[in-house]
Amino acid sequence: MARIYTGRDGRLLLGSDTLVKVTAWTLQADLETLECTTLGDSQRNYVPGVQGFSGSATLLYYLDNDNTNDASTLIRKLVRTSAVEATDTVTLTLRLTDGTINNDVKLTAYITSASIGASVGEVVSAQISFQGTGALTTASL
Amino acid sequence: MAFPTLKPTARAYDSGDYPVKTFKAQSGAESRILYGSRRTNMSLDLSFDNITDAQAELFLDHYDETKGTYQTFTIPSAVFDGWEGNSDALDAATGNSWRYSGPPALTSVRPGVSSVKVKLLGVL
Repeated sequence: MARIYTGRDGRLLLGSDTLVKVTAWTLQADLETLECTTLGDSQRNYVPGVQGFSGSATLLYYLDNDNTNDASTLIRKLVRTSAVEATDTVTLTLRLTDGTINNDVKLTAYITSASIGASVGEVVSAQISFQGTGALTTASL
Repeated sequence: MAFPTLKPTARAYDSGDYPVKTFKAQSGAESRILYGSRRTNMSLDLSFDNITDAQAELFLDHYDETKGTYQTFTIPSAVFDGWEGNSDALDAATGNSWRYSGPPALTSVRPGVSSVKVKLLGVL
């Protein structure tokens, strides 16, 4: 049956926990191409290089009933007093679901930017960017 | 084993010169003596970018087989691909052959992909 996916179907998981109050996420997949055009060719030729994955997400700065704050969990990967270590990765799952079938992209990533601000008359939200490291664990999007 | 039959991604050619000795007097007058009838010392710099490791290995094997810079060899017409003039204008002059002027420089780009730069010298 035909189906259109909307923002209502989007989920963002940190590890196995679905993050609440996520208002947006994006995923960017890139492939580096290596030129192998030789003398005499009239068109450019390429071979595939390395892939890269990055993305961003916007979360409301929201304190859940169990006193957890998902936005804070991600922000603290970068906004901290100690240096970021190689082990400071997060496992993110970007999901579009219709309730029964999950279309996922799962990756290990570093949080590469985090911004948050407060304005009169507006809900506080945080924007984070992430850079994937290694291959995707799941790719069923 | 022949020089690998691959089309280069870049090529630079220098025509070399005839064996000429130049003498200059204090007055500024110049005398030149031609010691041979064959032009030599042509140089050919070839780049083979983003080729497979197996193709790159052909250059290493060929360099080894020619005992490095010791032996001379001819090169296939594929090396001159893209040149629309006569191929002999870029090849070693009649009576000359090519030899390596140095070892092939190999750069590993990513798993399975490498780039090779080769410098050849035309010699009698």
